[in-house]
Amino acid sequence: MTEDNQKIKKSDILSWDKVTLDKILQSNDMIPGNFRGKISLDPDKDFVLNSHIGQNLENICPTNAISYKNPPESISLDVGKCIFCGNCQQEAPQLIKISNNFDVAKKRKNHLLEVFSESVPFGKTYEEIGNELKNKINKTFGRSLAIREIDAGSCNGCEIEISALTNPIYDIERFGMHFVASPRHADLLLVTGPASKNMEKALKIAYESTPEPKLVIAVGACACSGGIFGKNYATTGGIDSIVPVDVFIPGCPPRPQALIYGIMLALDKI
Amino acid sequence: MNNKTIEHYMSKLEHLEFKFKSHVQNNNEIHIELEDSSKLIEFCNILKLEINLRLLTMIYCDERKTNHAFSLRYLLGSDTDDVFFFVVIFIDKKHAYFPSLSDVFPYSIKYEREINDMFGIQTQGDTTLKPLLLHDFQKNIFPLRKDFHANTELNYTPRKFEFTPITGDGICEIPVGPIHAGIIEPGHFRFSVLGENIVNMETRLGYAHKGIEKIAENMSINNVVLLSERISGDESIANSMAFCQAIEKIAQLEIPEKSKQIRLLFAELERIYNHFGTLSGILNDVGFSYGASRLEILKEYMMQLNEKLSGSRLLFGVNQIGGVKVDISNTSLADIHSMLNDIFQNFEKILEHIQSNSSVIDRLRNTGIIEKQTVNDLGIVGLSSICAGIDTDTRKNHPYGYYSSINFEQTPRADMEQQVKLQKRIGDVLSRFMSRVDELRYSKKLIESISNLETGEIHIPLESELIPFSSGLGYAESHRGETLHWVMMGEDNSIFRYKIRTASFANWSVIEHAVLNNIVADFPVINKSFDFSYSGNDL
Repeated sequence: MTEDNQKIKKSDILSWDKVTLDKILQSNDMIPGNFRGKISLDPDKDFVLNSHIGQNLENICPTNAISYKNPPESISLDVGKCIFCGNCQQEAPQLIKISNNFDVAKKRKNHLLEVFSESVPFGKTYEEIGNELKNKINKTFGRSLAIREIDAGSCNGCEIEISALTNPIYDIERFGMHFVASPRHADLLLVTGPASKNMEKALKIAYESTPEPKLVIAVGACACSGGIFGKNYATTGGIDSIVPVDVFIPGCPPRPQALIYGIMLALDKI
Repeated sequence: MNNKTIEHYMSKLEHLEFKFKSHVQNNNEIHIELEDSSKLIEFCNILKLEINLRLLTMIYCDERKTNHAFSLRYLLGSDTDDVFFFVVIFIDKKHAYFPSLSDVFPYSIKYEREINDMFGIQTQGDTTLKPLLLHDFQKNIFPLRKDFHANTELNYTPRKFEFTPITGDGICEIPVGPIHAGIIEPGHFRFSVLGENIVNMETRLGYAHKGIEKIAENMSINNVVLLSERISGDESIANSMAFCQAIEKIAQLEIPEKSKQIRLLFAELERIYNHFGTLSGILNDVGFSYGASRLEILKEYMMQLNEKLSGSRLLFGVNQIGGVKVDISNTSLADIHSMLNDIFQNFEKILEHIQSNSSVIDRLRNTGIIEKQTVNDLGIVGLSSICAGIDTDTRKNHPYGYYSSINFEQTPRADMEQQVKLQKRIGDVLSRFMSRVDELRYSKKLIESISNLETGEIHIPLESELIPFSSGLGYAESHRGETLHWVMMGEDNSIFRYKIRTASFANWSVIEHAVLNNIVADFPVINKSFDFSYSGNDL
């Protein structure tokens, strides 16, 4: 009898106590293993880079995130351009590893670039950020942070993920962050889209009306590099060509956890 | 079956007193070339009145190299039978203009503005067309002409855009945008208000213009699939499916039955998570945050389900030409069913709460009313049209993929049509709210109708090179409505012209009519009840 009662209770959303994730950056259980997250050049032991693989990878990448150079044979991956389609992993599973980690945000644009070559021993471009950062995060979240989201021509994928931050499951307001209606009230600008030419002026005005100290985060492949749209007659190829950017969050679109991670990196900068 | 319909329409055409050449292509496309192109307006009027056709889009194409002229295809479609009409005219140097169809189909003006922007060709006699997509671009830049390169660096040159002035005692103007207060896309609205009431509203869009149609011409067709997913992030399946179907039509590729089933599953999953989001947005805009956040939870669960199945929360990377990339097993199909059952049990409970809450229903009822005549005159499609009693469901009228094996006799849209006739529904926000609820339940039914997946391959490779300058029309019903993608192939499997007409492009103009005589505070909820994509409009 009691078991039955519990069953009914579980399916009744109106009487659920709590759905909000507790440790949003630690609980990886809810992210499926096949989520295309962190992408890195992590070769198998007996992997040999040759021009065949290099050329194929370069050709298969829709956004030219992968480039192959010869000589010396080296391959580079610009995560900022990547739209996480997964084509490269299918092509060269021995070299390209995609995990379901979301901690992909970087403070400098050139940190998004990863290089692998046969001659130079492979080093990871960024270290695992462990306990040290966690403490910092806790300190920073003691403060209140006002965020203004600006769409500079995105496909609305990033907007869906950003608005998901405010849903009861991710609920960023409990960390002291909230979205405000005007750049004049904001500490931080979350900018998405490849910065279309038509939005250039509006983005500049919004940046200038944000009071100092201000932070700017480029959200998504488009904002980092232009993404699949690249730089063309109607786009400017990344928002850093218009306003200074503090943190780049790659992803197409970046999942809510990745956004929180990026925001925390930005807070670290003040 | 379809041959009979085509024959029926061909015989109807022959009875008209016009001289033309015609041929049938891709099963359901009738291409007509008039001998005397000056009779075009007359011809289209007769198609509208006698064969009951609706203008779907106008496709302009720079064929100066191959045909020594620009070509213009008026695409008309039927809402009862699976047939499309392409009326083709050629515009050469002698006539640097084309006839305006706005007397027959008033909404053709939007397509004419688009053509004026992108090709620099005007309608006959009209020089007052406002720009649509290009804001502060240099003059004499026509991006979709073949002699313009996609990567041309353009300078910032301010262009004037004048909103229609509304003057009178006590009338104020409120400019809003392009950056809005919420987390939404960019667009500018100019309200003219008398006290609280809106007497006129003019939209200016195009802020998210990214040159999608142009850059597709320099991409391989496999990459264009990825590009089409990013036309509008929340319509990724509908758009990529329409593009893939266009290519599959040109290549005459019959994709495996299982991949058709998987495409249907994902298309309906996409519809479900987006409708939850929109319903939640409507409730949020009338200040009922309890219901809004409950529905947000359901949307999030749906997105988590999407991710479990495909590796992407927005279903990116599911479709490919010749099938799908993501396989679904029968066990995960059972998971989808049980998950949907749970979610919909909760949904019905929340809905009961909402419907018994008079402060919500009172805000929704009689707000943002659109008349049936307005819907007809503006060529509105999808959910925005069914709330006024006009059914334009592509899944039913032009069945594609696995939808052709589904019986569409008892759709909720037919019910809605009946309710509008009985004047129980009047095209207000509440009727759009309820038609979304109906759609949700129907999508669940469609998913449940697939109890067993076929065995076999999920993808057939595209082997042969496609014939240069062959064309095909792909279509799908996104959660916003009819989505059309027309592709003309170029040499070496490149794309010569890629024309996208999303439901948002067709529908945006209705908002200017829906807000009239409403108060400014109701604008957000009216806007949300239509749920248009800015990016899908601006391309």
